[in-house]
Parts: sequence; C-alpha cells; structure tokens
Amino acid sequence: MAQVRLAGLGKTYEGAHANTIDGLDLEVADGEFLVLVGPSGCGKSTTLRMIAGLEEPTAGEIWIGPRRVDGLEPRERDIAMVFQNYALYPHMTVAQNMSFGLRLAKVPKAEIRRRVEAAAETLGLSGYLNRHPKALSGGQRQRVAMGRAIVREPGVFLFDEPLSNLDAQLRGQMRTEIRRLHDQLSATTVYVTHDQVEAMTLADRVVVLKDGKIEQQGSPQELYDRPATRFVAGFLGSPQMNILAGRVTQGMLDLGAESRFALGAERAAPLEGRRVDVGIRPEAFRLAAPETALIHARAEMVELLGATSLVHFTHAGLPCTALLEPTEAPRPGQEVHLGLRPDRISLFDADSGRAV
Amino acid sequence: MTALRKPLALTLVLLLILACFFAPFLWVVSNSFKPQLGIFADVTPISWRTFLPLEPVLENYRTLFERTNILRALLNTAIVSAGQVALTLVLCAMAAYALTRIRFRGAKAVFVVILLTFLLPVEAMLVPLFQVVSGLGLNNTLLGVMIPWIASPFGLFLLKQAFEELPRDLEDAARIDGAGHVRIFVSVILPNVKVPLLTLGLVTFLFSWNSFLWPLVIAQSPDIQLIQVAIAQQGSPTQLPNWGETFAGATVATLPLILLFLLLQKYFTQGMAMSGIKG
Repeated sequence: MAQVRLAGLGKTYEGAHANTIDGLDLEVADGEFLVLVGPSGCGKSTTLRMIAGLEEPTAGEIWIGPRRVDGLEPRERDIAMVFQNYALYPHMTVAQNMSFGLRLAKVPKAEIRRRVEAAAETLGLSGYLNRHPKALSGGQRQRVAMGRAIVREPGVFLFDEPLSNLDAQLRGQMRTEIRRLHDQLSATTVYVTHDQVEAMTLADRVVVLKDGKIEQQGSPQELYDRPATRFVAGFLGSPQMNILAGRVTQGMLDLGAESRFALGAERAAPLEGRRVDVGIRPEAFRLAAPETALIHARAEMVELLGATSLVHFTHAGLPCTALLEPTEAPRPGQEVHLGLRPDRISLFDADSGRAV
Repeated sequence: MTALRKPLALTLVLLLILACFFAPFLWVVSNSFKPQLGIFADVTPISWRTFLPLEPVLENYRTLFERTNILRALLNTAIVSAGQVALTLVLCAMAAYALTRIRFRGAKAVFVVILLTFLLPVEAMLVPLFQVVSGLGLNNTLLGVMIPWIASPFGLFLLKQAFEELPRDLEDAARIDGAGHVRIFVSVILPNVKVPLLTLGLVTFLFSWNSFLWPLVIAQSPDIQLIQVAIAQQGSPTQLPNWGETFAGATVATLPLILLFLLLQKYFTQGMAMSGIKG
C-alpha cells in the first residue's frame, strides 16, 4: 500500500475565471480511508482524476509512495479507480472486465485466473463470471467495477462517487461492503462523494472542499461537532444544522424574539457587541417547561420518522428544525417550548462565516 | 368504424407508395425475360402484360454471359466495393477517434472543413480528381477507382456521432487498466460501435457498387471495367441497344445488393436512426 501526497496542487481550465483547484496540500496516510466531500463543482472529482492521471494538474506535485507521479501515465501510478457509472466494458464478460488490465500487463494466465477468482469470491460474483454487464443488476455491476480494481492489487484505490447510481437500500448495503473491503485489504483509499452520509460512515478522515480549497479536514465526528465554518456546519449532518442570527451583549447571546441566554464569560468576552451566526444541531433542542424554555414557537410541520420526529418551526423569521423523541412531538399548529444544550452550539462570525 | 377506416386508408397509401417504388424494378426484371420486340409491344397501354413476361425466355441472360465480360465486371466491382468498404471503415474510424478522443487545437475546424467537402457535387470534383489519381499513376487500376472515396465525410460524421455517445469513463477505465490509444481504439471503442460500422460498410458498398461516372472516367480498359459501366457499354456505338440484355445485366447487378440488404437491413435502419440522417 502507499501514501499519497498532494503539494500545492492546482488546476485551471482554459477560459475559466477562477482556479478549479487552488494550491491544494493534502496527505493521505498509508492504509487510510480519506473521503473528499463537497458540493457539485467544488473540485473533488478533478482532484481524484488528477491523482489517477486522467487530468493534468496545472500546478503542484502528486506523490504516491516514494515516487512523484504527475506526468506519468495512469498505468504507471499503481492506482485503480471505480467510476460512478461503473465504466464496465459492455462487450466483455465479468471475468474479461476484471482481467483486462492484467492481460495488458502480461500477467501470467494462471495468476490472472487466481486473482479474478479470489476477487469474485470476496465480492460474491463467482456465479456471474461469464455474464455480460447488461445481464447484471446495478449492485452487481458496481461489485464488478470494484473487482476490476481489486485484482490489480494497487497501492491506492480511488472511488469517484461509486454509489450515486444505486437506490437508497443498495447504497446502504454497498457502503457497508466497501468499508468491510477496506478493513480487509487495508488499502489506501481516496473516495469522492457529495453524500455526507457516505462521508460520515466510511471515512477515517473527511476533507470538505469548497471552490477548490480545503474548507476543513478531520475525523467525521470532529467535523460534525466542531465545524470550522458555517459552510461545513451546513454541509455535514442531516437534517442540516439550524443557523440563527444572534448578537452577544453583556455576556448574553441574543437569538431575537426575546430569546437570550448566558454564553459564559470566557466565550462571550471576545465576542461582546458582535453579530454572530448561531449554529444549532437539530438534536441540541430539548423540550422544556414554558417558564424555563428559551424558544417559544408554533410547530408548522411534524415529520414522524419512527425512531425520531422532526419538528419544523420558525424563530425570529428563520426556519428551524428540532429533532425530538416521537412521544415528545407536538401536533402541527401546537405551541412548542424548547431549551438548548449550550455545549452543542457553534458560533460563526456573521461576515466571514468562520467559527469564533 | 372510424377506428377501422384509419388503418385501412394508411395501408392503401402505403401500398400505393410501395407500388411506385417497386414497379420500375418489376418492369426491369420482367423485361429481362422478354424478347426485344416483346419489350416495346407491352409498354403501352400499361397493363399486367407490361410487368409480367407471358412467354419468358432466357435468351437475354445467355447472350449477356456469352457475349460480354459481365463476370469479370462483377468480380472487379466486388473487389472495388469490398476494398472501398474496408479502407473507408479503417480511415473514418481512425479519424473519428482522433476527432472525438484526442484533444488537439483546431479539431473542430478540421471536422468542419471535412464536412464542407460533403457539399461538393461529384461532378465538380471529377476533373481535379482525375488529375490527382492519374498523377499518382493509378489511372486504369482498381485502386484508382476506389481511392478518392475512402475518406468519406459521411462516414466520419456517422462514426463521430457514434463515438461521442460512448461514455468517456470507458476510455478512462481502459487508460487506468493500462491501455494506450491503439488498444483503446481496437479493444474498447470499435467493439462497441459495431452497428454504425456495419451501417457505414453497407452504405459504402451500395455507393461503390452503383457508382458509374467515376469508374467510367478513370477505368477505360475493358479488363477493369465495373458492372454499371459494363452494362451501359455492352452494345457497340453502331448497333441499336439490346434492351433485353441491358435489363438482364441490371437484374444481375442488383441481386447481390438485394441479398446484402436483406441480410443486414436491421443494422442499416438502426445505424441510420442513430445518426439522425435519412438515406
């Protein structure tokens, strides 16, 4: 397996106003599962394609293991890639698809057979080796695509939104399978997705990209609990983090609509008199007695999800969602009184969006 | 009743159109089995006699095969058509690959210029083509008959469309698997555009088999005459044309095309529908 290092990586397309990737510095440790996540157009797929050698960087260096690989052909980089739409060769059988790269590399036939059969066994494809891709389901096709990557025994696995074309149930299954496979092979993996659930469940480390730059990186829980920016806060977590407009005055955080609470001297002092955006995770709300509650609102819509319930309301003109126990959920139109866990609140500078 | 009348009316219209297309063929085939006098006697008034040989004779076919070098012409045409198909497929497929899969400056301009040549009528190009082919020393050779047409703008257009429809990820996957341009072209792209390739092959074969003017100009020697020219030139200038023999020649020349079309018509219609072009 191998380490991946990107140093000052940049990509500018001809005619584009801004850089797609702007001076990206990133290291992926040997055996690490790194997830690049971000909205469409943030440059995550471009970064992955540059690591693969399918796009040429316009600046910076790419290192895989001890070798600098930018400028090398994809086949010389010791990588394998799984594509969003599988990219299986339609005219070849499953076995031929999986062995194509090995045949080109002139690996002995017996070895090819051994590797293909082993990968098929791992992925539950043994009975399908002679079928063509069109005779397989979406999930099976994705497994073949993974098998094609596995048989090459590469130093680095690259995944480009591999589950986007699958339905929700299959996506969940395949997520588990990819993680199991990674644990089994301990392969260095760079995985691109726009799905924050995939990012949270699969990654050892998540890198959030925005406009070609790293917005924040860290363990999934770290990013969830301590988002560095309003963007990260809004991107990770479902339902999204609520963002309310607030102001710190006399050590109190004023959320508007007569909602104020003590922020704690240490936290409040540097923010005195400043406008802040207040990030509140839906699960940070608690039902409270009317006299002690911080927020009084009318439940506009209630979604009962079985294990939990989502209560939608408006506070100081801004939409909010609270995650409550189903037994605590009010009926739509009913008054709801909520308290907050202050330790679960994130504060962002109202102008820059950076955590304060 | 209205529901029934519509399909009936449609069927009648289709039958009429079919008759319009089919009648000339039937007339040619029928006349190839009539003696010379019978052909003219049955022309008017138009009746079922016009289209059916009541006393069929094989005389026209006998004289065609005995007096003229029709078999040689058929063989020459088959060689030229097959060669033209093979070379057109190779050349157009390679050009389409370069224009769709290799990024280079001016690719669009190159494609537009090639397509513009599509607009030039054959007649306008005849003299310059003759000069070029003669200059190459290919005058009076079968290669000279086929070579100007192998760089087909229509073929390039058809295959470029087909190549563009193949997902780019396929090529990326092949690159990661270690394939270079030649391997991608041969092992990944070509096997997935079989229908357009067959369509182009068939269209090229039809075009080549039926071509008359260029073979007439470039291949003067009787040894390398092609079928359409051979049929047109079977009588001597001092004799009256033997129409029965001409019709027999036309029938013989059409048979291979009909067989080929019947065998491959599925691909032909599929490919044409895909290209968005009507023949």
